[in-house]
Amino acid sequence: MLGFIGRRLIYLVPVVLAVTALTFLIASLLPGDLAVAMLGDQATPENVAALHKKLGLDLPLWRQYLHWLGGVLTGDLGASHRTGETVLHAIANRLPVTIELMVIAELGGLLIGVPLGILCAVRAGSSLDKAVSGLAFGILSVPPFLLAILLIFLFALRMGILPATSYVPLSQDVLGNLRSMALPGATLALLEWPALMRVLRSDMITTLQENFIAMARAKGLPQRRVLLVHALKPSSLTLVTIIGLNIGRLIGGTVIIETIFALPGLGRLIVESIYTRDFIILQGAVLFVAVAFVLINFVVDVLYAVLDPRIRHGRA
Amino acid sequence: MQSISGLHTVLRGIAVSCAALIALGGVAASQTRGGTVTMGVEQDIAGFDPIVVGVYDTGPMAAAALLFDTLTRLDDNGVVEPRLALSWSSSPDFKKWTFKLRPGVKFQDGSPFDAEAVAFNYDRMMDPANNCRCAFFLNGISNIDTPDELTVVYHLRVPSVNFPALLSPPAVTNVFHSPKAIKELGEGYNHHPVGTGPFKLKSWQIGDRIVLERNPDYWNPGHPYLDEVVIRPLPDPGARFASLVAGDVDIIWDDQADAIKKAMGMPSLRVNQYDGSGISTIVLNVKKPPLDDIRVRQALRYAADIQGFADAFAEGLYQPAKDPYGSGSFVKCKDPGTLPFDLAKAQALVKEYGKPINLKFMVTAEPRGMGIGQIFQEFWKAAGITVTLDPVDQTTFVTKSFQHDFEIGGWRIADLADPEPQMYADFHTGSPVNIAQYSNPEVDKLLEEARSVADQEKRIADYCQIAKILNKEVPWIWLFSNHYFNIAKAELKGVHKQYSNTVDVADAWWEKKK
Repeated sequence: MLGFIGRRLIYLVPVVLAVTALTFLIASLLPGDLAVAMLGDQATPENVAALHKKLGLDLPLWRQYLHWLGGVLTGDLGASHRTGETVLHAIANRLPVTIELMVIAELGGLLIGVPLGILCAVRAGSSLDKAVSGLAFGILSVPPFLLAILLIFLFALRMGILPATSYVPLSQDVLGNLRSMALPGATLALLEWPALMRVLRSDMITTLQENFIAMARAKGLPQRRVLLVHALKPSSLTLVTIIGLNIGRLIGGTVIIETIFALPGLGRLIVESIYTRDFIILQGAVLFVAVAFVLINFVVDVLYAVLDPRIRHGRA
Repeated sequence: MQSISGLHTVLRGIAVSCAALIALGGVAASQTRGGTVTMGVEQDIAGFDPIVVGVYDTGPMAAAALLFDTLTRLDDNGVVEPRLALSWSSSPDFKKWTFKLRPGVKFQDGSPFDAEAVAFNYDRMMDPANNCRCAFFLNGISNIDTPDELTVVYHLRVPSVNFPALLSPPAVTNVFHSPKAIKELGEGYNHHPVGTGPFKLKSWQIGDRIVLERNPDYWNPGHPYLDEVVIRPLPDPGARFASLVAGDVDIIWDDQADAIKKAMGMPSLRVNQYDGSGISTIVLNVKKPPLDDIRVRQALRYAADIQGFADAFAEGLYQPAKDPYGSGSFVKCKDPGTLPFDLAKAQALVKEYGKPINLKFMVTAEPRGMGIGQIFQEFWKAAGITVTLDPVDQTTFVTKSFQHDFEIGGWRIADLADPEPQMYADFHTGSPVNIAQYSNPEVDKLLEEARSVADQEKRIADYCQIAKILNKEVPWIWLFSNHYFNIAKAELKGVHKQYSNTVDVADAWWEKKK
C-alpha cells in the first residue's frame, strides 16, 4: 500500500510542472500587456519598458518561468501587482467559500443521486426508471445560470424565504451562512445528481446480475441488505471517479455560480485575475487548483484500492 | 477677478446659511438617525491607495465618497460648495488657485488634516518614481505650495476657470489620505484606507464586502445619519436587481434598461436618475484616408440612426447627444447643427465621393462593444459603406487609440464639472489625447479663449460655436448623453445626485427606522 502511495506521489511532480508551464505559456499568449494595463493612460513606451524591467517581464519567457518556479519552491508565490494582496492571502481568503460550496454540492448531489440510482437499478426499465432518467436528462440540459436565476426567482423573489445574493462567513453566523449558501448550493447539487445517478444505476444493474448477488438472495437476505451491503460497494467505482473529478472541478470554483450569487470564491478570483491581467494571482491560483486536482485524484486512486482488492494487489 | 470670486463665495455662503435656517425646522424632525444601508456595486474594489490602483471606478468612488472628503462638492443644483476647503480665489489668469482649508479637521486616525497633508498626497501621486497611473490626471498641475498650515496654492500649467468644481468628485486625485497611515501601513494601506470622511473602515472581506461605520469625530456635526454602510460587489446585473427586490441590499448602481423600467413601476423602489455632463461617442481618425474626406465622414453621420438605436436597445432611457456636452452640462446649445439621420443624403455623398469605401471599426471584444459595432455596420452598409469590425481587448483598444492606429474607434467624455479639460485635450491641434487627429485653427482659438475668460456666457457661446464646427466637420459621431441610474428602496432618502456616476449615500437616511 505504501509503495502504491509513493508511486502515485511521484506522478505529481511532472503533472504540476506541465500544468504550471502551460499556464505560463497561455498567460503570455493572452492579448494585452500587464504593464500597459497597470500604467493605463501613462503607458508611454519608456514607462512600459521601465515597468517591464521592474517586474522582470523583459526576460525571456523560460527565465521568467524558472524565476517564478524558484519562488514557489521557496514558498513565495508573490503578490498581486494590482492590489498588493499576496497570492497565499488571496487563496486562503477565497478557499473556504469554494470548499463549502463544493461540499454542499457533492453531498446534495449524492443525497439525491444515490437513492434514485439504486431505485432505478432495481426497477430498471420500469416507468419510474424512465421518469427519473427523463428528469435527469432534462436537468442536465439546463444551463447552470438559468437554473440559478430560476431558483432566485422562486425562493428569493416569489417566496422571499432566502436571500438572492449574500455571503455570510461560516465563522460569523452558522445559520446565516447556511441561508446564504442554500441557493448556490442547491443549484450545484441539482446539476450534480443526474450524472451520479446515471453511473450508479448502470454499474448497479451489472452488479445485480453477478453470482454473489444471486447467492445473497438465495440465502434469503432482505432486499435492503443485499442492495446496501452487498451491491453498493462494488458498484461505486465509477461513482467515486466521477465524484473525484467533480471535486477537482469544483475546487477551481464555479465561475458562473459564484458570479451570479456574488460569492467571493476561487472561481471569481481566477476570472478577475484574467480580466485585469493580474498574472501573479492567476499563476498562483492555477498552481493551487492543479495540485489540489492531482491530490484528489490520488485520493480517488487510493479509494479504488480500498473498494476493490484486485487493484491493491495485482498489477492487473 | 479675485474679488468677484470672493464675493460670490460670500454671497453664496449667506444664501446657504439662510437656506439651512429655513430647512432646519422642517427637515430635522424627519431625518432619522441610525440604521444600515447595504449598497450593491458592479465591480470588485481593488483598493484605495492611488499608487497601487491608479484610478477609482464607480464602485471605489461610491466608497471613497464615504471614507474621504474632497475640497469642494457640488450641491444639488451643481453649484460648488465648500467641504474641506472653506473658500477659494484665483489669480486673474486662472493659473493660480488658493484654497483656505477648514480648521480642526482630523483624519480617522487622529492625525490633523492640514496643508501639509494635502501637499503630501499630491507629491506622492506626482512623484515620477511612484509611476502612478493617477499622475496623468494631474498633468495640469505644476506644483503645490503651502504658505501656511491652512492654505494650499495650486499652480497650474494652463488656465482653468472652473478649477474648484473639477476638485469635487471623489476621484483618486481629489481625496486625501492620512499621511500617518500611509507611512505606518506601507503596502498594507491599500486595504486599510484612512480618510477624513463621515464613515470609517470597520472590516473588509476582500471580494465580498466592505463594512463602514460612522466616524464619531466627523467634522460636520450631526452627520452622517446612518450608523453603517455595507458595500458589496454584485457583478451579475440580474442577481443585483433580484437582491434589491428580495431585500438583501438597499440601493444598487444599475444601467440595465429592463431592470430600471421595471423598478419605475414598483412602489417599493425609487429610481434616482442623473444626467451626466459627458457623452459616449464614435471617433473617426481624420488623418486616415478616406476619412480625411469630409464627405465620407458626413456620410457616416447621416447614415447613423442613433435615435432608432436608443429606442430599440435602451428602451428610450438614453438620449442621443447633439453635441459633446451631456444633458447635465451647463453648456446648452440652442442649435448646435447636428446632422440628422438621412439615408438618402448619406447615399448621395457616397456616390459623390465616387470610390468604394472600406473601413475598419475597432471595438472592444465583449458583447457591448461587438453589439454596437454590428449595429453601425448595418447602418453604414445601407449607405453603401463597407465596414469590418476589428475586435480588440480593452488595453489594446486604449493603446491603439493613443497611437492613432485605427480608422473608426470609440471614446467617451467623462462627467467633469466643466467641459474645458476634455474639450481642449480631445480637439486642440497636437494634443496627445486628440485621438481623431483633428485640427482646425478656428476651433483651437475658441478652445484657448474658453479656458481663459471668466464670463460664463461668453464661454458657453464659445463652446457652442465649437460644437457647430465639429458637427459640420464630423471628427466624432456623438452617441448618447451620459445618463446614470441607481435604484433604491423608497424609504431611503437623501441620496446625492449621481455626479461622476458615483452613488453617494454620505448624507442618506431612512425615512422610518430600519
